[in-house]
Amino acid sequence: MKIVGIAACTSGIAHTYIAREKIMKAAQKLGYDIHMETQGTIGTENALTPEDIKEADFVLLAVDIKVGGRERFKGKKVVEVDTNTAIKAPTQLLEKVVDKLGLTE
Amino acid sequence: MADETVDIDIGEVVTKDLIDLDIKSNTKEDVIAELTDLLVAHGDVIDRQGFIDDVLLREAEGITGLGQGVAIPHGKSKAVKNTTIAIGISKHDIPWESLDDEPIRVIILFAVRDIDANTLHIKLLQKVAVLLSDDDFIVNLHKVNTKDELISLLRKDPEGEDES
Repeated sequence: MKIVGIAACTSGIAHTYIAREKIMKAAQKLGYDIHMETQGTIGTENALTPEDIKEADFVLLAVDIKVGGRERFKGKKVVEVDTNTAIKAPTQLLEKVVDKLGLTE
Repeated sequence: MADETVDIDIGEVVTKDLIDLDIKSNTKEDVIAELTDLLVAHGDVIDRQGFIDDVLLREAEGITGLGQGVAIPHGKSKAVKNTTIAIGISKHDIPWESLDDEPIRVIILFAVRDIDANTLHIKLLQKVAVLLSDDDFIVNLHKVNTKDELISLLRKDPEGEDES
């Protein structure tokens, strides 16, 4: 399973980075390959590469605001949640998305 | 799992003056004010009420209680002179909107300059955010007895191999 995603919150200070870490840890625990970009108060970090996006089974947006570069995901399955959902229960979130999209391996 | 290592000292933003291990307040508003007083006394916030208003504005936008007894109110504000954090720990439960619907005892108040030229400080705040995603860190946070313990806990590398 390959996943790409973006985390971004309203002020871009804290939730963005906590959400990213929580999702990354949960994904690794589940054995998924994941790349997460952050769009925070100091700009974009860990930017997704076109290759990451191309190979991804789906796109997970953990965002509270409009994020930049959504057009990169044209033709991909995109799932959007808020950062708090990702922080609260990242493992369940990933499992639910994988299940819903019929991607169970 | 930080991709970019931050080899700077968290002690640069978190000083003992910005830590209160015996928070007296019983409400969210009072806790924010109590911690803001530390930031004002330390010279990091120049407009007390202006900062409190900005923090409460952010509170109105969404839940800042992360669950497990920790809340991270924050304000990006013109009232902030130096980007930093103030940390409060309480011996009693404080009601706070949180992801697990439980009250909190640890408050980490992020004060961020409206336009921050110092990305170094923002990076340090990011490091704290990354630490907060680690369950072990949260458990240890609740066990802290002294300011030195708290600072050394924050200095720990998120991956656990740091020895400074």
